[in-house]
Amino acid sequence: MKKFILYIVLLAVITHSASAQAFKLPAYQKFKLKNGLTVFLMEQHEVPLINMSVLIPAGAVSDARQYGLANMTAQALMHGTKSLSKQELEEQIEFIGANISTFSGLEYSRLTANFAAKDRDKIMKLTRDILLTPSFNSEEFEKEKKNALVNLEQSKQQPRSMLGQFFNVHYYGDHVYSNPPSGTVASVGKLTVADAKAFYEKYYHPEYAAIAVVGDFNTNEMKAMITSLFSGWTKGSMVPVKADAVIRNTGSANVLLVNKEDAKETTFIIGGKGIPRSHPEYVSISVLNTILGGRFTSLLNDELRVNTGLTYGANSGFRATKFLGTFAISTFTASRTTEAAIDKAVEVYKKFLNTGVTEDVLQSGKSYVNGQFPPDYETSGDLANLLTDMFWFEFDEKFINNFQASVNGLTLERSKQLISTYFPKDDLRFVLIGNAGEIREIAKKYGTVREVAITQDVK
Amino acid sequence: MRIILSIVFLFMLTGARAQLSADDVKTFTLRNGMKILVLEDHSIPNANMYIFYKVGSRNEHPGITGLSHFFEHMMFNGSKKYGPKMFDQTMEKNGGANNAYTSNDLTVYTNWFPSSAIETIFDLEADRISSLTIDSKMVESERGVVLSERSTGLENSPFRLLMENIFATAFQEAPYHWPVIGYEEDIKNWTKEDLEMYFKTYYAPNNAVMVISGDVTVDQVKKLAGKYLEPIPAQPAPKKIHLTEPPQTGERRFVVQKNIPTPVMGVGYHVPDARHGDYYALDLMQNIMASGNSSRLYSALVDKKQLLTFVNMRFGLSFDPSLLMIYGQLTQEADPKLLEEALFAELEKLTREGVTAAELEKAKNQKMMEFYSEFSNINGKSNTIGTYEVYLGDYRKLYDAPKEYAKVTNEDIKRVANQYLRKSNRTVGYVQSKVD
Repeated sequence: MKKFILYIVLLAVITHSASAQAFKLPAYQKFKLKNGLTVFLMEQHEVPLINMSVLIPAGAVSDARQYGLANMTAQALMHGTKSLSKQELEEQIEFIGANISTFSGLEYSRLTANFAAKDRDKIMKLTRDILLTPSFNSEEFEKEKKNALVNLEQSKQQPRSMLGQFFNVHYYGDHVYSNPPSGTVASVGKLTVADAKAFYEKYYHPEYAAIAVVGDFNTNEMKAMITSLFSGWTKGSMVPVKADAVIRNTGSANVLLVNKEDAKETTFIIGGKGIPRSHPEYVSISVLNTILGGRFTSLLNDELRVNTGLTYGANSGFRATKFLGTFAISTFTASRTTEAAIDKAVEVYKKFLNTGVTEDVLQSGKSYVNGQFPPDYETSGDLANLLTDMFWFEFDEKFINNFQASVNGLTLERSKQLISTYFPKDDLRFVLIGNAGEIREIAKKYGTVREVAITQDVK
Repeated sequence: MRIILSIVFLFMLTGARAQLSADDVKTFTLRNGMKILVLEDHSIPNANMYIFYKVGSRNEHPGITGLSHFFEHMMFNGSKKYGPKMFDQTMEKNGGANNAYTSNDLTVYTNWFPSSAIETIFDLEADRISSLTIDSKMVESERGVVLSERSTGLENSPFRLLMENIFATAFQEAPYHWPVIGYEEDIKNWTKEDLEMYFKTYYAPNNAVMVISGDVTVDQVKKLAGKYLEPIPAQPAPKKIHLTEPPQTGERRFVVQKNIPTPVMGVGYHVPDARHGDYYALDLMQNIMASGNSSRLYSALVDKKQLLTFVNMRFGLSFDPSLLMIYGQLTQEADPKLLEEALFAELEKLTREGVTAAELEKAKNQKMMEFYSEFSNINGKSNTIGTYEVYLGDYRKLYDAPKEYAKVTNEDIKRVANQYLRKSNRTVGYVQSKVD
């Protein structure tokens, strides 16, 4: 592959934008059921499919030191319902080629479903059963847990899957935003099906949740259906965790060196404070990040890959959460070129902070962000997730409909101000994953070093 | 890197949308032999362009392994009108993005852009196809990039190592023996002359198929193709690949060391190429055995016996006879012996009893949903249409697939299972931390 498309799980590169021909969000209906459940309905008739996205406002931030609990709870929903075993449930879904899956991330859990329009009644009823009457089968839970533990051990051999998590812990300290969504070997090992059931009973309620349905249906029919299926969902008493606490206890060492003894390359990340998703200048800041590290000709990729051949790809991104956020640069390089690559990354970033962008580059960045925007919201699945994102992060369709105007309105002068305000300058935190024997001395060059082993749990 | 495209098929549905008719794809061939397929779709103001060059690692030989993939990188490093860096800079400045990948069989270039930029995209592509510059300094810098790509792939996944070894063991004479990324020493050693030879041989308009989907018109594409691509001369057809793999006559095994918590295991069976009549039966068999948690192998090995944390079966389209692979990661307590017993018992049951009518129907339902999902965006449309055109020789085969699948019976599945899932036809391998 030519391009490494900047996949670091925890670094959502925010390079969205609106197209030149005014890409608008298709019409949709939004309403609330009496129990407080927010519903979005959007008709799309290009293919005879329907996509559904359900957002539950509880993720790893609600784990309360039982790291991985929100995720294991989401997985356990698929272990069967009051009337169907896990195997029966899967057979029914898969027989008609449909998909229903659940997962939990840092801030929320999500159920997504996609199915043929003709199978609407069947799948929507199953979805209701999965969400409202899961059986929490202990045997299935133990099986899931065993596999989760193997996967956690496996990730510890994969620097790129650990990098974002180590960075989160290094940056957020004991803030709930450092909670690892997949949990740790120690924490997951202790989880029981009773824990999952308790978590479910606390957080799986309608009043802070949302359902979006997008696809080939009639809005009135779907409205009646959702109302009939989900009106019986009872309210709870927990409010979602408000993760807006001040960050503290991050330690005095700004460099975290993660030893992987057999590593042949060093994978590293450098970052600091970012912005929340609802930030009013989110779009403009995204354009500037695109220029720095969000596309192939970005300043970082150009220097670290194209000019010097130090790496296959270098990128930067804001990971915007509901209340806070981080910004980080990351890449990887052969062990022997560790110092050259880190120095280069720092040099490019400093230059960006000090001199900003040129008019030419700004124009190019704006055009790129605008041009690449519409395909992000092309399918019903994309749109269903967008609608629930709007609900959770508290933004509206102006994000889509005014995108072009926001992008086009970004001036050189404003760019300068945004760079100096929102791209972190001080207290940059480094995480280096590599062979410590070879890079320990190099790490010291960037500050006070704390060393851990990659085999250790992150938190 | 071997990339197996996910291939989908159309099944007849009552009330199928206009988008899903073969007649919506318009085709024409330029005087220099380049075939172009166009599918108009005005749902978003964007379009894409896929160019499939019929060159991949199967066209290499030891000494230049990995050259097809390396060449893919060099296609971005400057040509006559658009010098070094200008391809990407021009594309991004016009709102476009691009990528490319190389497989055993193909090198595929992809551009995604606002439809207003289409002429620039044609100009960029025409320039590099007709007059690429192979600059020695660029070659050296790009070697570093590709070595990093190779190393990071191996460092971050045991499956890369597993797949490479299954292919290397199962193929001893045919060119699928070496990995697409190439051998490290070959990456360090090929020359500018090797690259020039490759360009002249394979990067000819008559060795490529172009697919465009999105907010364009057929007339517009015809005009631009005529202006930018038609003047590029055709080249003599590349030499046919004459090496084919002789039948495997005994089970083969390997073990490779890598520090991982539990072993990963894979089995590869030789199966025919995409144009062979058994393709559809094998493809449905794959769904029944390993697609989803209700599939046979998941149910037996992951759910009931808990020997694997997951199981996959991979079988895709290829120019030459290739492999059907089954692989997964062992659970903490799994004994490889018991795993193999359980896995092979499932395959024997399949060859003995075949599948049920319900299983066949499920597999067909799944194919239909895969098709609609692929066709829900312009990217999937170009990819699917182009893949059919290149591997099966005609994109219309995509629309014949329902008939082909309808023909598949339980007897066919039993027959292909008997024919290919034999012990002497398989390669079994492990990547694990402890070796003797």
